[in-house]
Amino acid sequence: MAEIVSPGCPRGVPGNVEMPLAVERLPNGNTLIADAGDEAGFGSEIVEVDRVGNIVWNYHEGLKFAHSARRLKNGNTLITDTTNNRLIEVTPEKKMVMNSDEWCEGTGKLSDGSHLHYPNEAYELADGTFLVTDRNNDRFIQIDRHGNILWSYDKELHHPHNANPLPNGNFLVCDSDGNRILEVNRKKEIVWCYGDGSPHTLWWPRGALRLKNGNTVITDSKNHRVIEVTPEGKTVWTFQTEHVDKFYITHLTEEETFLIASTDGHHQVMEIDRLGNIVWLFRNYRRPAPIYARLTNGFFKEVGEDGMPRHWTLATRLSEGGGRVIWDTSHRPFPCPGLEYDRPGGLFLQQNIAVRVGETYRIGAEIKTVEVKGTACLHIDFYDAFGGSLYRDITEMPSGEYFSGTNDWTHDLFEVKVPRHATFAQIRLALNHSGIVFIRNLMMNPA
Amino acid sequence: MPIDKEISEKRKRQCMKLVEISKGIVRQAFERFKHEELGITWTGGKDSTLTLWIIRQVCMEKGLPLPKTMIIGEGDEFEEIEEFVGRIGKEWEVPLEICRNEDVLKAANYKLNAPVRVRDLNERNRAELKRIGFEGDEFPFEAESYVGNHLMKTVVFNEFLERNRIKGVFQGLRWDEHPARFNDEYFEFKEGGYLVPDHTRIRPILHFTEKDLWDTYAAFRIPYCVLYERGYRSLGAKTTSQISIEGVPAWKQDLENTEERSGRRQDKEKAMERMRKLGYM
Repeated sequence: MAEIVSPGCPRGVPGNVEMPLAVERLPNGNTLIADAGDEAGFGSEIVEVDRVGNIVWNYHEGLKFAHSARRLKNGNTLITDTTNNRLIEVTPEKKMVMNSDEWCEGTGKLSDGSHLHYPNEAYELADGTFLVTDRNNDRFIQIDRHGNILWSYDKELHHPHNANPLPNGNFLVCDSDGNRILEVNRKKEIVWCYGDGSPHTLWWPRGALRLKNGNTVITDSKNHRVIEVTPEGKTVWTFQTEHVDKFYITHLTEEETFLIASTDGHHQVMEIDRLGNIVWLFRNYRRPAPIYARLTNGFFKEVGEDGMPRHWTLATRLSEGGGRVIWDTSHRPFPCPGLEYDRPGGLFLQQNIAVRVGETYRIGAEIKTVEVKGTACLHIDFYDAFGGSLYRDITEMPSGEYFSGTNDWTHDLFEVKVPRHATFAQIRLALNHSGIVFIRNLMMNPA
Repeated sequence: MPIDKEISEKRKRQCMKLVEISKGIVRQAFERFKHEELGITWTGGKDSTLTLWIIRQVCMEKGLPLPKTMIIGEGDEFEEIEEFVGRIGKEWEVPLEICRNEDVLKAANYKLNAPVRVRDLNERNRAELKRIGFEGDEFPFEAESYVGNHLMKTVVFNEFLERNRIKGVFQGLRWDEHPARFNDEYFEFKEGGYLVPDHTRIRPILHFTEKDLWDTYAAFRIPYCVLYERGYRSLGAKTTSQISIEGVPAWKQDLENTEERSGRRQDKEKAMERMRKLGYM
């Protein structure tokens, strides 16, 4: 009998902001937030919130993992609908007046024959064209409303984010996987750069903005901080909370405060002043997945009507549109589940479990892999009271063995001590990049 | 044979200091618990043997015999460890209790990888399987599997505590042997429950690094199992333990920059790099 200690809420409820990414303060004082949705791929939407936290406008029709929303001069909203690999423009009445899927006779192709792949930011430039960061094509491009590429930059970028225009005509862009911020001019020359590539200076930076004083404010995500650096590269200001807040974007308001999106880390948008005071906060989050008193259905004998192992969640948020649960029905004495995946990115089968701080748990299962190109493993994440992970990076999470290629059933066993501030654990079967991983006989007990 | 490693006087003094810290923990344990309430877990490996050696030093100071010592027979032992334990056990007058889960061994017909049917097990073992959430009808007899580990080690350990009314038990764990150990404490009270007696785990050598440990073995000519000379760094069950570097004694390996318990797959770093590209997580 499953015992739930903390219930979950229905998925995809409009207004439940699970993963705020891009954020901006509008001239009317409201705040526009792009919410990428929950771990299972539901609830991505754009919300406009007034000063007291009322949601005064939202758009969620068909969005999948939307990363950005920018209000245009004409009052419409430009949205990067990331997992759908498209750019759309919607009116305040929610009418779609531009959809990149319709470009090039409905193929969605751009003028160079390529397709947007994981677009994660789009700004309107002064001449009405758009500047789009096209992450998985490792570039940012200037395009018109019909998909004609007018200019592009695709050198030395690795999973870029947040390319934005500067008053001097140059562009700032986060070379996220290269751990750098670049300023690029129209001649495609790098005129300024910060970050030596090591995670000590910047680790997966996802936002950069230039201040009037010439300094640059960088959202240094995996180092969970926002920093201000001078043109000479000296850090003159740092903002950090006591949490592992993997901030996504920092936006400067007219009042010279910063709006910061906290992603799925703490499911909130903070506005802070120069002293680090939180002067405004928006949070409207309920966790969809329940927390179980103990590991439940670890032998995967119970199967739900949807074909999923009961009490387990398939987390597709990072799977870029691919991945599914499969069953080996020939497995005896009962079928065992697996994950099948066909692209880069990650897919997870997961469950939340209540744990006691300081207790050591032994976790084990048997795992089998078939032609895994990336990595498959069993790992455990811990969450704080705000629903944020206690780890900066997936590789810091306690795990069993990392499997690649093809391996027959292997016992996997590891121990973990529950860290301070943990309120619950999330145990996950993880699959990164393509292949199949099967799991059976999963157990977790105090050691 | 003592370790062939030159230890300077300075290093010897450092090792002595580490041993003194450990002895302090052992003395505290003797103050907190009656002698008959204390137990020792010994495997014949480097960590538990150092712990035993330190406890023995304190016992000799106090003119006490060693507390009751358990060693677990998993049914998959190295002969070299058995020989070492037998010889040192006699030499140090260790009151040794060899603890096995005889019921499971019998059900497996004493054969590794043989299937064990749950219904062939006694009530206690069946209750233990239920407690840990095992829902199968059978499992292969392997000491290093989750079920094997629980029945052959944890259950046997709890039974040893129960049988001897042990309240404090010495363990040879170290902070640097595994990330899960980083926050362990010298004394940790474990609240009992169904099938688990209340007890305190006492870990006198937590602060020793692997290098400290081998330098201490060399400095004080402490006996060790011969397998470490052949390149093993960590000893578990015979069929699952692996030599780290063939023919290179454990103490001559790169202890500070490589993993003591490296997994079966040495390309973990590469795999981690791929995982990092996931970005968000």
